[in-house]
Amino acid sequence: MIWGLGFFRAMGVTMRNMFRPAITVQYPDERLVIPERARWALVHKFDESGRPKCTACMICERECPDDIIHLTVSGDAASGKHIDEYRYELGACMMCGLCVAACPFDAIEMSHEYELATPDPHALVRILLHDVDAASGKRAKADAPATQAALAADAAPDAARGESDHA
Amino acid sequence: MTDDRLRATPDEPIVAEGRRVPLTSPKGLRRVPRGVDELATEHLIVNMGPQHPSTHGVLHILLELDGEVVMAAEASLGYLHRGIEKLAESRRHHQVGTLLDRADYVSGIHTELAYAMAIERLMEIEVPEKAHWLRTLMGEINRITSHVLFVGTFGMDTGSMPTFLYTMREREALVDILEAVTGSRMMFNYVRPGGVTGDLPAGIIAKLETFLADVDMYLDEYDVLLTDNEIFGPRTKGVGVIDGTTAVAFGMTGAPLRATGVAWDIRKAHPYAAYAELDFDVPLGSQGDCFDRFVVKTAEIRESLKMIRQLIAGVPEGPHMAKVPKVLRPPAGEVYTAVESPRGELGIHLVSDGSDLPYRMRLRSPAYYNLAVIDEALAGGLIADAVVTLGSLDIILGEIDR
Repeated sequence: MIWGLGFFRAMGVTMRNMFRPAITVQYPDERLVIPERARWALVHKFDESGRPKCTACMICERECPDDIIHLTVSGDAASGKHIDEYRYELGACMMCGLCVAACPFDAIEMSHEYELATPDPHALVRILLHDVDAASGKRAKADAPATQAALAADAAPDAARGESDHA
Repeated sequence: MTDDRLRATPDEPIVAEGRRVPLTSPKGLRRVPRGVDELATEHLIVNMGPQHPSTHGVLHILLELDGEVVMAAEASLGYLHRGIEKLAESRRHHQVGTLLDRADYVSGIHTELAYAMAIERLMEIEVPEKAHWLRTLMGEINRITSHVLFVGTFGMDTGSMPTFLYTMREREALVDILEAVTGSRMMFNYVRPGGVTGDLPAGIIAKLETFLADVDMYLDEYDVLLTDNEIFGPRTKGVGVIDGTTAVAFGMTGAPLRATGVAWDIRKAHPYAAYAELDFDVPLGSQGDCFDRFVVKTAEIRESLKMIRQLIAGVPEGPHMAKVPKVLRPPAGEVYTAVESPRGELGIHLVSDGSDLPYRMRLRSPAYYNLAVIDEALAGGLIADAVVTLGSLDIILGEIDR
């Protein structure tokens, strides 16, 4: 082996890479597309009339491994539940998606909101729902037949686990 | 004038470790100030870490040096201890995966898989063929992301910055695929007891094929930059030699063990997931030095690519999740399952008391056993080789300290 040949071969690699397209993007002027399944901040889903689909069944609160979802509910199932507060500690959330997988009513989802840095620590605790009537379980189920079928076919244990926990 | 600090009493002669050095250099220049009669050397204790950039985490190594030679080394662990094993005892079985992702944060699929296999064996769940296929495919993609990260950081340890930048290109392409399939770039939470959370989304196979078309050319470029390089070779050959007997005695697994010539791979010895149906070789080294450990890892990247090509050639049909009970309550008993993670044999010893919480979960982390040999590997070598030897073991402190 000729001493120094490695230097020229390595420079050859450098030259080849000079003519390849750049793989970096100029954030924030350019942004990559977030994949459909990417899990970021938790948000609620609402129906056409703007009412939350959440039925205050408390399954997500119980499923959360880090215990960062806190629901305050008044009323009972007979007269209709009322959500005083749905508190979500974004700063402590690890975006595992177990709450979404467990939700039997398809009322929450992991959004694609990923720019979560903030200088304000209070912004890391979000009140997702405040002083609203919870949807009745039956109506929510009727609203989302496709989702229910998808849940049953796609993540059977997840959906079923939530229901049995509830029982 | 003599240094009183070296003496117990003023009358006692100076006694110190090490050797006496001549007061004049070969050219006749005095090495010590005038008036000093004699000078003794002593061993120097140096703290490497816990915030040393080359330790790939928060590892603290005490080095006892005689000049440039390492006389003894002692690794001090626990800076990244989060109590994962204890925390798992307060998590329900399907929640434990979120902790295990953070144990070995470079190859989370494998830790999740070991735990899911433990539950499946306790509860006797039959996993569908599609789930096995997805677990194997994602596991091998995850293995390549881990191995190219090793190639890049090991290049930096040996003084080659460009390789790191090029390996990030390949890692990025695969991490994007992992994100599209699992929903997260590193903390996957993808493998669950009974199967996996989702099938491949549309377009992923095409993405993989685009990656596979170019990757061999890129791997050849790594060889130009590192394996065949005139500086990299002498820097790693014969450095940090561990022989096969020592490696087995220390319980080493993975590439550091195979670099010594011992053929041991869980994928071959106790096939799990879909590995029994795949045709692949286990690369072996012979010298057990840093160079062999590196070459075994790069050869494993090519083997993983071979496996991915075989896997995407035949996509099985069917569900990706078995019918599992609503709440996972494994019967009382204990089980040990092991997978071949990018670092070696990663085992889960799970004890169940029949409830929905694990009674005890023990993680056999491969890098912990690979790191244990560091005292032997560093002693007698040069301090400049300490970083190279440590880097070649490919440790992840997250799973060592747990």
